[in-house]
Amino acid sequence: MKASGIKYLVEQGVDNVWKNRMMAFASFCVLLVSLLLVGISVLAYLNVNTIIGGMEDKNEVIVYLEDTTDDATMQEIGEKLRAMPNVTDVVFYSKEEALESLKESMAEYEVLFESLDDDNPLVDSYRIKVGDIHTIDATIDQIRGLGHIYSIRAPYDFVNILIQLRTILTWVMGSVILAMVIVSMVIISNATKASVYARREEIRIMKYVGATDAFIRFPFFVEGMIIGFFAGALALVITWLVYDAVANILQNQVALLNIIGMGNIIQFSDIYLIVTLAYVCGGALVGAIGSAISTRRYINV
Amino acid sequence: MVELKDVSVTYSSGVDALNHVSLKINDGDFAFVVGSSGAGKSTMIKLLLKEIDATEGSVTVNGYHLSRLHRRNIPKLRRTIGIVFQDFRLIPSMTVYENVAFVLRVIDAPYKYIRKRVPYVISLVGLQAKANSYPDELSGGEKQRVAIARALVNDPKLIIADEPTGNIDPELSYEIVELLKGINACGTTILMVTHEHDLVRHFGGRIINITKGQVVYDEIIGGTDEGERY
Repeated sequence: MKASGIKYLVEQGVDNVWKNRMMAFASFCVLLVSLLLVGISVLAYLNVNTIIGGMEDKNEVIVYLEDTTDDATMQEIGEKLRAMPNVTDVVFYSKEEALESLKESMAEYEVLFESLDDDNPLVDSYRIKVGDIHTIDATIDQIRGLGHIYSIRAPYDFVNILIQLRTILTWVMGSVILAMVIVSMVIISNATKASVYARREEIRIMKYVGATDAFIRFPFFVEGMIIGFFAGALALVITWLVYDAVANILQNQVALLNIIGMGNIIQFSDIYLIVTLAYVCGGALVGAIGSAISTRRYINV
Repeated sequence: MVELKDVSVTYSSGVDALNHVSLKINDGDFAFVVGSSGAGKSTMIKLLLKEIDATEGSVTVNGYHLSRLHRRNIPKLRRTIGIVFQDFRLIPSMTVYENVAFVLRVIDAPYKYIRKRVPYVISLVGLQAKANSYPDELSGGEKQRVAIARALVNDPKLIIADEPTGNIDPELSYEIVELLKGINACGTTILMVTHEHDLVRHFGGRIINITKGQVVYDEIIGGTDEGERY
């Protein structure tokens, strides 16, 4: 096809938006709502996931060393712990520090500690954090293999709850997002079908005068893309405003922040580029493909 | 050239729309196809445009063997045919000029050629003053002239006119047939489907009568008072 032919088809697509403005507006609204449904569901999922990730980061495994371990071996164990790929943080906690801490927490039983004289019954330990809690068992086995380990205390209950919580949330939010996508596709498909149905006679005439399928579809494709682009742009603005408003409210809730962690709410400014691309490109793509597919039924004459 | 050889069409409902029809329309012919409603006239047009396929037999239109024609090549066939419908089927959102030019745009004709050809064809049907009007601003006769201009603009080998006078005043019917006769005189084959026997008797020529899916009459008759009205 010549450049002038493509130019004509693009112009037709642009003109069609205005000529069929009522149907275009209906498609625009449907696309806008669909994009918002899917977009906000995805953002909610991402935030919940980050919050759970933040909780997971609070895990702490305490590795108690045998009382007979000398300083050099302790240091060596510390180095080996730091070198483990799934260990993100290693802090040494001497038995003296442990005793002081115990005394502070049990100040009213001071008499018990007096009887110890200089004999410290506690042991030195390392307090570590693991990166991926799903593989915490393997990491603990690896630590046991280092030798000179008296015992290991790991937050298994906490980890199991978080793993289950994440699994449930992934399924629930995944299902919600999938349902939103399906509902949106059905609505968009019907809206574009209605738009194409209103112009079925035009399509039939094109077929009778020898227009190819591509020639017929292209203006619908352009039209859908334009509508989708603007729906995506408006969805972006709405999402941005709503997101910031909700994030501000949450950040003023100190009690809530203590649970979910201050840094675990994703800032819109950190993700605006990807959200913009997803909305605008997603809108344009869904609009374009939806329109082009909907013409198929009337093209076969 | 249009040729049907022993063509039958049976719809999925079991209705036999055409039953062993054979006929040949040579290049440059003008033929009236007459018959009552449900006789098979519309089925024949659909066959010629490859909107449907023959259940039996072979159909050849302008050198295309339709049974062997792939779907992607149907536009090529249709570009050799101009079609005029009873209900005009103009695109309401386009002006007269755009409706006619549209056919040339479909075949990716050069812009300069479109600018030259479209006004010429619109003038042939006598509508140069209405070139910028929209279909809903035109009378029935004018709309049908636009439809004829649209069918003609691509310089097709064959024009199929499906009841072109069905939706216009009887007086204007003669004008439309005169216009088609003029186009035929320039070498374009015309196949005009009609059930207006007065028109057929008036103009005469080749008459093909289809009844119950069969050609029951295919003869050339003389016109009664050709030219008297004008």
